[in-house]
Order: sequence, then C-alpha cells, then structure tokens
Amino acid sequence: MDTVTLTIDGRPITVQKGKTVLQAALEAGISVPYYCYHPGISIDGSCRVCVVKIEKMPKLQTSCSTTCTDGMVVMTRDPEVVEARAGVFEFLLVNHPLDCPVCDKGGECPLQDFSYTFGPAESRMDFPRRVFDGEGVKADVDFGPTLMLNRNRCILCTRCVRFMKEIDADAQINIVDRGYGSEIATFQEQGVHTLISGNLMDVCPVGAITTRDYRFKSRPWDNPGVVDTICTLCSKGCNTSAWLKAKPEWARGSRLIRMTPRFNPDVNNYWMCDIGRFDYHWVEGETRLRRPMMRRGTALEPAAWHDVEPRLRDRIQEVVTADPTAVRFLVSAHASNEELFVVKQLVEGLLGADGIKAVSMTWTRSEKPQPAGTKFKVPATDAPNVNGARDLGYDVGQGNDGLPDLTALRTAVEGGRVKAVYVIDPGPQGSIGDVSWLIEARRNGTLPLLIVQGVVTTPLTDAADFVLPGAAYVEKDALYTNDQGRVQAASSAIAPPGEALEDWQILVNVARALGLTLPYTSSSDVRRALAAAMPGGPYADADKIGFAQPLPASSWLQASNPSERWKWDFFFQDLPPVKGHSVQTEGSAQALFIPLKPVG
Amino acid sequence: MSFHPRMEYAPAKFHKSERTLAEQGGDFKYTPENQAKFDENVTHYPPEQRKSAILFALYLAQGQQGYLTAAAMQHVAQQIGCTAAEVEDVVTYYTMFYRTPVGKYVINVCRTLSCALLGAERVTEELSAALGIKPGETDPTGTFTLVEVECLGACDRAPVVMVNDEWHERLAPEQSAKLIADIRTKGAAAFTGCHLNKEAQQGAGARGTGDRGKGDRT
Ligand code: SF4
Ligand code: SF4
Ligand code: FES
Ligand code: FES
Repeated sequence: MDTVTLTIDGRPITVQKGKTVLQAALEAGISVPYYCYHPGISIDGSCRVCVVKIEKMPKLQTSCSTTCTDGMVVMTRDPEVVEARAGVFEFLLVNHPLDCPVCDKGGECPLQDFSYTFGPAESRMDFPRRVFDGEGVKADVDFGPTLMLNRNRCILCTRCVRFMKEIDADAQINIVDRGYGSEIATFQEQGVHTLISGNLMDVCPVGAITTRDYRFKSRPWDNPGVVDTICTLCSKGCNTSAWLKAKPEWARGSRLIRMTPRFNPDVNNYWMCDIGRFDYHWVEGETRLRRPMMRRGTALEPAAWHDVEPRLRDRIQEVVTADPTAVRFLVSAHASNEELFVVKQLVEGLLGADGIKAVSMTWTRSEKPQPAGTKFKVPATDAPNVNGARDLGYDVGQGNDGLPDLTALRTAVEGGRVKAVYVIDPGPQGSIGDVSWLIEARRNGTLPLLIVQGVVTTPLTDAADFVLPGAAYVEKDALYTNDQGRVQAASSAIAPPGEALEDWQILVNVARALGLTLPYTSSSDVRRALAAAMPGGPYADADKIGFAQPLPASSWLQASNPSERWKWDFFFQDLPPVKGHSVQTEGSAQALFIPLKPVG
Repeated sequence: MSFHPRMEYAPAKFHKSERTLAEQGGDFKYTPENQAKFDENVTHYPPEQRKSAILFALYLAQGQQGYLTAAAMQHVAQQIGCTAAEVEDVVTYYTMFYRTPVGKYVINVCRTLSCALLGAERVTEELSAALGIKPGETDPTGTFTLVEVECLGACDRAPVVMVNDEWHERLAPEQSAKLIADIRTKGAAAFTGCHLNKEAQQGAGARGTGDRGKGDRT
C-alpha cells in the first residue's frame, strides 16, 4: 500500500495515498468540521467550512478536496483558519433558524455541534431571515411519501442532490434558482420517490430532511440504547443499528424507535433501504403473538407452555407412530442458522437419518422498482437466510435466484397423504408466501394437524391447532447467511413479548417433549454445536461471533451515522461539556475536544 | 406509491410547499425542424456528454413556444437523457429562460456594479414608469417584459440593457422613456447594438486597448 506522510497540527501522520487532508485529519482524530463532504458520495467542495492552512499554498484550502502529498504541512488551528472558519459559520447561520430545541435534528446535528465548537459566539447579521415556505411548522413541507423538507434549515450542501444522482441513479432532487434564492426541490414538487429515500435523512447534515417515520418521535438523548445488528428483511443483510427509546416497562408505546444503516463496505456501504428502515413496526405491533395458543373445539384459546407441550407431543406422536412420512415441516427462510440447525436435529431424531427431506423451505421474491444504474440494489429475495438453509443441507432449489418449489408438499397435503404440518415462520406477515392452500386443507379437514410457530397473527395462525409464539429478528442473537454467503449476526435488542420464546428454545422444548434431548441452554450453545458440525467453512467460527458489539471501526468515517453514534457513546460517560468558542485557539485545548473515535 | 406491501406511507399531500411552479402546459414536442436542429447539435458533443446540449435544447424549446412549461422541460429531459429535475435546475438558474409567457421585447436591465454606479437603478425606475409595470412583469399588451439581471458583460458601456438578444449600451436614465418609444416605432433598429461589432464592421483598429471606445464618449 502506497502511503504519504504529512504533518497536521505538528503531528506526523501517515495515510494511504490518495486520501484527502480532511480524511487524514479525521483518521488521526483531529476535528475538522465538514458539511458537503460525505464519505459515501463524491466530493463537492462547496460548503467551505473545512478550510485549513497548508504551507506553501497561497490561500486557505478546503481540506475535503485537497489530496495529501508527502511533506505537506497542514494547520487546522491557525488563527487565520479559525477566523475564516468562523466567518463561514456566521454565513451558514445567516438564514438558518436558531431554534434547535424544536428541530428534529437537535442533539445530533453537525451544524449545531460544529457551530458551537467552531462558529463565532455572535452573529452580526441582524436583518430578518430568508423564509421559504413559511415559518415554524409551515416550513415543513412534503418531500415525497417518506420524507419532509424544511428549506429554511437547508444549508445547500448538496449531499442529497449527489446522493440521488450517484447512489440512487435517479437525480430527483435539484437546486432551483440561484444565489440567495437557491432552494432544494424536486421537479414540480413531486417529492422523492425511491426505495432508498430514508438515507437522505442520514446524509442531510441539518434538520432539513427528516423521515415521516421518525420525526419528532424521540430525541437523541431519549435513545440511549443502540444495538448493532443486521436487517433480515431481504437477502442483502444490511448492517444496521436498532435504536431503542428509554421508557419504563409499563409505559405504552414501542421501544424500537428507528433503524439506521451501519457502515459495511462489503455489504451495504453507508446505506439501507426503506423496507428495512421503516418496516419494523410489526415487531411491537398489535398483531404480535404473545402467548401460546391451542385449539379447543373450533376456538383457538390461549394456553400455557406447559399445557401446550404435552398435547402437542401426543398429537405429533400419534401421527408419527402411524406413518412417519405423514409429518412435514414448512420452514420460512427467515429462520436463522441456529433454528435451522436445531430443526435438522429435531427432524432427524423424529423421522430418521433423512428426516431433512420432510422439510420444505419457503420464501417470497419481489423485484423492487429501482433505477437501472442504482448503486444500492435491493435483492428480489425477501428472506435473509436462503443461503444458510442451503449450507445446512436443506433443499432450496435454485436458491437465492428463484422461488421455492412447494408443489410436492402441496400435492401431498391436498391428496390427504400428510397428517401433520409444522410451520416455522419467524418473518413478518406475508413473508412465508402463499399458504392459502395449506389453510384451505386444514379448514376442510384434509390436513388434520397444523402447528404454527410464528411471530404475528396471520390467516395461517388462525387456522392452526397450535400456535407457538417465537421471536422476531431484533429479539434474538442469531446468524444469517446473506446472498454473498457472508455469515452475519443479528443481535437481540429487545426481549420477545409476553410469553414468546426464542425459536431455538421452542424447538428444543418441543424436541424434549418428544423425548429427544438436544443439549442446548442458550443460542450460543447452538452456535457452538453448529461450528463443530461444520468445520472449515464460513460457520467454523460461528461460536466466536460477537453480538451487539460495535464494529471495530477505526475512525468516525467508518461509523455510518457520523453525527450520531460516537457522540452518544460519550454522552453517557458524563464527559464535561466541551462547547465554547474560545477553546479552539488555545494550544492546550486539544484534550478538551471529543476524540472522534467510536468506543469499542 | 408504495414499494412494499407492508409499508404504509403517509398521504403525500399533507403540507404543501409555496414554491412557484412552472405551469404544466399542454403536450410539448419539438417541431420537426427543431428536432432536426437538436439532433444535429448533440453530435457536437461526445455521446456520454449528451447533457452538454441542454442549453441549446432549452433555447429551441423556448423559441418554439415563447417560454418553458413543465411539459417542455420533460421533453428536453427525455431528449437529453437526464431527469426533469436536472432540467428544472438549469432553467431556474438562468434569467434568460422564462417560465411564464413574456412580452415581445424582454428588457433586461443590468444591476451589477458598473451599471449600478452609473444609474441602473434609475434606468429601471424610468423604464418601469414608462411601461407601467414592475420588474418581473409583462405589460398588458404583451409587448414588453421588464427584468433585472446581473452583469451583461458590457460593463465599459454601462448602464446597459439587453433587449431580447441585442445590447443597448449607455442607456442614460433620462433616455429610457425614449428607448421605449423608439422600440415601439422602430423595433429592433432602436438598439445601439455592441459597439465592438460596429467598429469591426468599420474596419477600425479599435480593439487596441489604448483608444478603445474613446470616440463615442459623448
Ligand atoms: S436538504 Fe440537507 S442534504 Fe440537501 S442540500 Fe440541504 S442541508 Fe444538504
Ligand atoms: S436491502 Fe434488504 S437487508 Fe438491506 S435494509 Fe433493505 S430489506 Fe434490509
Ligand atoms: S467539506 Fe470541504 S468544502 Fe464542504
Ligand atoms: S455591470 Fe452591467 S454589464 Fe457588467
């Protein structure tokens, strides 16, 4: 790797060739403000707050657009820089409303932070602010189905414009007018329509673009819990952070408050799609299954686990004793590797060595409407673990590229040859695909026994004889194998609701009731067994995967939400406040600045 | 529009922006002549830089119907191979693209430094008074539109106005009303045009810096 060595604020710093001065400074933990620069999109050099002094250069330079060269001597705290920078901030705030307390970005806003740190204490501009769509709430206008826009807050960094052009490959956002009248807009105010619109909230360094889903629902300091996990709503497996709102146990409302992407250059870069970002409400929604249920006559009634298990055992054993081939399993590819591993042991114990043949995998597929050139393609497969199922020996047909083939199972069920179907469906409503034939077969009696282990109430659970409440993807530590074959960890952020259990636990309990001992008392036990059973491959280290640990990011640049994570990690360590204009000129002030590295 | 069966999007028309939008306008299509001109013009650029033809494409569209409607912008976008938003970006940037119908004569008064120092503001006032309209407006007969613009690049002959594509140099505020009257009677012949063009026509070596423009300082 070619490197160059330069000096920033008297410190020799060695970076990869081609990096910019700003990147070098940030990597070294030297705080330089920036707005138009975003590591995931092209360089613009328009906001000017990143100015630094470079020896032998006639004027101050924008560090975001200056490439490091050997022997360069950079100063970021020179009085000349400090003054110029403060001037830029004074201009940025000429029209920006100073009402952070009522802005949705307040508390996690780079404009707020950097202005406190680098801006002037007071503005000399005392004329009225330019107002676009009205003041206060009138300024928040529609920006498409998922977003709102507040032009008064916009600092015209053009990150959103470049994001749409470069990442979405459909330049829907533009700047209309010029100079003082410039405003961010969409053609004829049609708004932003894209599957990856939520990222615009992340890239916007101010409160100009907010998501309808999250805006004014919570404040950063109300969300102390952030769990690093992955999204399991399609086969991409974006690395994400699940944000939890602090609230007492008894208070109403959900704890899961938003999902944001987490940087992983090999999977999702800095981005995630709107499905993964906004489709989490079902986890704590009304339709969640909270208690086991059992059919008594025509009614499905809540029951306790210890009542359900023996009844379930009797019914299954009855079928198995008569004809072991009459028991079938229908498993959603939303099941994790742990769950699939336990299912495999369960069927082998119950039905013999090739018991796995009794299991059919299922998932859905939908081509997403996206521009041809998009840099963030959302896969068609709406399940996270088709590859994991294949690796574990399940029949997934063409796998990620195709649809599951359930015709054999369907024919057998409809022909009355199957006497019991055990469905495992930890995915959201509909993710198991079309099961109307199964519901019909149970309703008309062709199928005498239907067991559903799931997370939400669906027509399928309504038709079932036993309903076993499992855990959703944010409620368990689990491994999924994405479309690249990468084994990734989803972490437990919240506990399963009510009496629901983690799915591996339900399976182990059912197995025990059936007289099979599976020696697992935690999901990590399962992973240990999985690693031992599949040495040498991507699962060999399954037992060593860490959960809910921040990725070993070596700099702020590597955290996806540059304005957010690092700060709250520190916030809760009760560091002394570091805001104030004067510190930056003092040579010894270095220590007072928050180091720009995420903890861990 | 929803991308996902389980995602509920809020109704998109909830808080409306107050931005002035271009009128949608009826179907817009280049006339065959304009299409031919456009097709010829894009060949001036490498295929991957087809977008470079955008200003020409917009002038064609504006020439065809006098101003640019949203439909015209969409047509240009489709011709150029970019999004309508990118076209709107360009259209709104330049003062010489109109999003509302304009008069037969569009009077652009420069208000940048040199012109401002030599009375451009008063020129605007005088023109305004003579026409009975404010800057940005078109008179009821649809003959004149008055616009204030930035530097027209003829600072040495300030104050300058540009009427359609023609300069009129050294327009003293007092003569503004007369200019309007002249346009009404003489049409385009009322404009001084660019002195450099005239000098070039007279074959004078007037482009040398020393005596440049001396002669007509009256
Ligand atoms: S809306 Fe946000 S991202 Fe877009 S230009 Fe304005 S400040 Fe930048
Ligand atoms: S692309 Fe797939 S994995 Fe990523 S956020 Fe969207 S649904 Fe989740
Ligand atoms: S970050 Fe360098 S100019 Fe904006
Ligand atoms: S200042 Fe008026 S033409 Fe340049």
